[in-house]
Amino acid sequence: MFFITPPYNAVARKMINTFKHIALVFLLWFSGEVVVAVAQENAESVAGTAISIQAGKFTEKGADTCIKCHDEDEAYPVFDIFKTKHGQKGDKRSPFASLQCEACHGPGVAGAEAMQEVLDQGGHVGKVRPGQKRPPILNFGIKSDEPVETQNTSCLGCHQDSKHIDWLGSAHGGGNIACASCHTIHIAEDPILKKRTQPEVCFSCHKKERAEFYKASAHPIRFGEMGCSECHAPHGSASGGVLIKTTLNQTCYTCHAEKRGPFLWEHAPVSEDCSLCHSPHGSMHTSLLIKRAPLMCQQCHSQFGHPRVAFTPAGLPGGTASGFMLSNACMNCHVQVHGSNHPSGVKLMR
Amino acid sequence: MKHDHKITAGIMAITLLVTLPIPCGVMAQTPISTTEPGDIPVSTDTDVVTEELAQATDEVATEPQITPTSTDEESANTEALIDSKISLTKPLIPSGSYPVDISNWKCEDCAFEEGYSGEVELGVGNVSDKSFKFGEYNGLNEDGAFGIVNGNARYRDEDANFMNLSVQDLGLDSRSIEFDAGRQGSYKVFFSYDEISHAISENVLTPYIGNGGANLTLPATWVNASSTSGMTALASSLQNYEVELQRKRMDLGFSINQSSNWKYDIKFRHETREGAKRSAGAFFFNAAQLIEPVDYVTDEIDASVSYVGKHWQATLAYYGSFFSNDNKSLTWEDAFTPLVVGADTGERALPPDNLFHQLILSAGYQITDKTRISGDISVGRMEQDEDFLSPTTNTNLIVPALPRTSLDAQVDTLHGNIRVISAISEKFRFNADFNYFDHDNQTPQSQYTWVSTDDFVNTTRTNQPYSYTRQEFKVGGDYYFTGKTKLAAGVDFDSMERTLQEADKTDETTAWGKLIIRGFKFMDMTFKLSQAERDVSNYQVVPEIDPPQNPILTKYNMADRSRMTAGATINAMPNETLSLGVGIDYAKDDYSESTVGLVDAKEINLNADVSALLTEQSSVHAYVGQERIESNQNGSAGSVPTWFAKNEDRVNSVGIGYKHRLMEDQLDVGVDYVISKSTGKIHITSSASENFPDLEVDLSSIKLYADYRLKDNMSVHAAYWYESYDTRNWALDDVNTDTISNVLSFGEVTPSYDVSVITVSLRYKF
Repeated sequence: MFFITPPYNAVARKMINTFKHIALVFLLWFSGEVVVAVAQENAESVAGTAISIQAGKFTEKGADTCIKCHDEDEAYPVFDIFKTKHGQKGDKRSPFASLQCEACHGPGVAGAEAMQEVLDQGGHVGKVRPGQKRPPILNFGIKSDEPVETQNTSCLGCHQDSKHIDWLGSAHGGGNIACASCHTIHIAEDPILKKRTQPEVCFSCHKKERAEFYKASAHPIRFGEMGCSECHAPHGSASGGVLIKTTLNQTCYTCHAEKRGPFLWEHAPVSEDCSLCHSPHGSMHTSLLIKRAPLMCQQCHSQFGHPRVAFTPAGLPGGTASGFMLSNACMNCHVQVHGSNHPSGVKLMR
Repeated sequence: MKHDHKITAGIMAITLLVTLPIPCGVMAQTPISTTEPGDIPVSTDTDVVTEELAQATDEVATEPQITPTSTDEESANTEALIDSKISLTKPLIPSGSYPVDISNWKCEDCAFEEGYSGEVELGVGNVSDKSFKFGEYNGLNEDGAFGIVNGNARYRDEDANFMNLSVQDLGLDSRSIEFDAGRQGSYKVFFSYDEISHAISENVLTPYIGNGGANLTLPATWVNASSTSGMTALASSLQNYEVELQRKRMDLGFSINQSSNWKYDIKFRHETREGAKRSAGAFFFNAAQLIEPVDYVTDEIDASVSYVGKHWQATLAYYGSFFSNDNKSLTWEDAFTPLVVGADTGERALPPDNLFHQLILSAGYQITDKTRISGDISVGRMEQDEDFLSPTTNTNLIVPALPRTSLDAQVDTLHGNIRVISAISEKFRFNADFNYFDHDNQTPQSQYTWVSTDDFVNTTRTNQPYSYTRQEFKVGGDYYFTGKTKLAAGVDFDSMERTLQEADKTDETTAWGKLIIRGFKFMDMTFKLSQAERDVSNYQVVPEIDPPQNPILTKYNMADRSRMTAGATINAMPNETLSLGVGIDYAKDDYSESTVGLVDAKEINLNADVSALLTEQSSVHAYVGQERIESNQNGSAGSVPTWFAKNEDRVNSVGIGYKHRLMEDQLDVGVDYVISKSTGKIHITSSASENFPDLEVDLSSIKLYADYRLKDNMSVHAAYWYESYDTRNWALDDVNTDTISNVLSFGEVTPSYDVSVITVSLRYKF
């Protein structure tokens, strides 16, 4: 069941079977590797090896200690932080109104000393080379050695506020996602805060969605006219799918308020859940529909008369062109699929 | 197949032994919530933390106090104590309290920004060909030249006063302006204007006059007929209409931080949508595609007051949404020969004015250092009371008076959520989540005598104000093998009650598991699995529906269902210059008790990514993906299934990008290339076994760009974007306005284009 079985030809079947065998071997190998690795890491933990930033010394000069190396010419420039809210000394809440770099990165003496040691030995400190240990300072992001919780706790020290009430326990917060996996704070404009650049950040993990927005019918994410956060609340929310409103439908109504009704004649699935018929990230079928009409409608409609009829290719142009299948199919007549407020609209035709 | 199943079972067993995968995936047929039960950081000892720090830990955004641990300089710098382990909220460096004396931290090399700065981009571009599909949302739907006007400006001063201004695509129909200003930490005012054009169709053919308005008429020369082939004046009456919508949105608001604890926010949004969209109108079994006018206004208000305390945070908010439509109905003349005398003009209701109010209280409370409780409660009301239209425009029909002049529709919503997360021990965390949602439709029920498409007076029907109540209870736990490896598992219970529908109640139980491993041999891995069973009680045909539903059909949102999802993601970074990733997601629904309707559905997603720094000046990234969505459904013209349909959608996508720096970093060049190919197959078996022609969508998009730095603050940017798009759609291909005898169609041509866009612009930083 895990691997899908209906190949479309013999070659595809052979490829899938080969893939299954490779996967089996990989999983067997991987099982042993994980058990050993976990045991090793546990043993280290029990022995008291803690994270790299415990009990350290703060520098004597604060940011000036760091900036003498991390200047504008650095491979990973950090100076643009002074164009951001974090680099504002006039706001007492800002890191640069207090412990500066070390407000987030922790006490820096050990890190600075480690760097100096490398420099004294003629080494290069611009980049951590393969096999080289990172300096003992709190680093952020997906390349950091620090546990995600350690990184995030540093951020939550200031940002455990009303906008992050639902963070702990949310899909991202509970999924061990580091704040810095999405946020980049050493540049003038964090890409995830701009609707044109935000999707690319989200797509680095949400790869299925990246492809979906290239489908024939899709919200205009790929053109930069819409950001993911116009529907989703990445820091958590009470709704399923981390949506910005309480329910999926209420989220959709923020842009499609004409669908809200309540109507005299309701179409039951419409007021219940838009996604029963629509695929919000994109579909190869028109109007983000999950399936082509009339089959989509016939999943739920088998009344006497035309809803229960099998519509076959005989109804295509060249045959007896059928209004049940062509143009807008069922919606050629039942155009009020989202509900009608007309006294004679019970069939969703008025 | 047996062999396959053994292998599959073996893999599953191993997967379960080593991992315990997760719940959710998103099915095409009945999407599953993507919210996953959460987990929290390990909370451990606080012994090493000084009393001052411990107290300061829970302070949020309070006045900074210098509280050195010692007056002795060496000691102060040496003994700064940081909690090396983690609690739910304890920051590594507590804000509001400095463990060292920072009076010597001059920050002399810090480049604090003061004054104005920004960037302006001016240029020209050209679109080679007109294409509504290419320019569907981006404002590039017309051929010819356009202006490039982008920019942003910033102001900062040492007192934390700021201003930001950003303009984007001023030269296009899809444009935006954003502005905000204030004093950081004190207050902010903001304004934005956003315009999005939606080019819907450029080749609609219609004989109607008055398109874009609420009253469609036929030309005086029009010849009514019983079928489209008899409409002899059709060809001479057809005119092309471009169907477009323009959405304009203005936001205005401000926020105030009264103190470190209180914050007030208010935002007003005024949005208009003007233009037209595709629509249709029918008289009994004859229909015509019509242009429907759109003249909508939606006003929204978001207002909130927030409090951030020592152990808790809370927000009380109001949300109001007010929709109005300038057009109450669409009338059109029947192009066919009226079935009865007087049924020559139809009138359809357009979306009625409506409103929604909601009051929301959200709060989080830190019960102990290891346990947090949070929740939301919201009450809302939807209302709609638009005056009813007449049941018919046919004055020859005698229709009893309506029971009411307007619906006075009202739906009350109540939502509650409470969530508890607790670090039971260093290794184990527990979480529980309860959700309650009630959609209580209070709309009065009445009997309405309805007229069938202005042709016949029918018997009465009673409106069905559907209500729903949903309750979800989720409980789960995380076990941390190490700081980076955890196993999470839980059970979710989901109960849905409906009124006036086939099933009174559905109950679904989901067991799920997930293993997350980070930093293992340069790899991060996630494995997940879930199994859900949904039971339906007392499914029966709704008597009010006429003609009655086939009793052997089961609607899939109220059907017994088994759902299995599984997934795995592996990302590897063997070194600082290379990252690789592969992922698979699988979901399958079985509606084994359903005879007619949807009987099964499955979805599989595969993807692989690679990105690499080739040299210090060049990088490449590439991905491939495949999505397969399949389903089977049965239909019946009797008491047993008589026809069977299979849908298979497959989407393959490939992307590759390359960037390079040349000429001593003076020139940046790059290319992005994306291919997306979708194929939709439909197979139906009734009297014979037949395949529909494949539905196809092929998209290729390539973007080339170069940025040449003339000076430190000035560069020339040039870009070339070519996109090719081709579709096969049997619902539109070869369907002319008169192809269908009983549907006067638009005769649209499926979108197909080859468009290139060239831009040249000058960018200047100040």
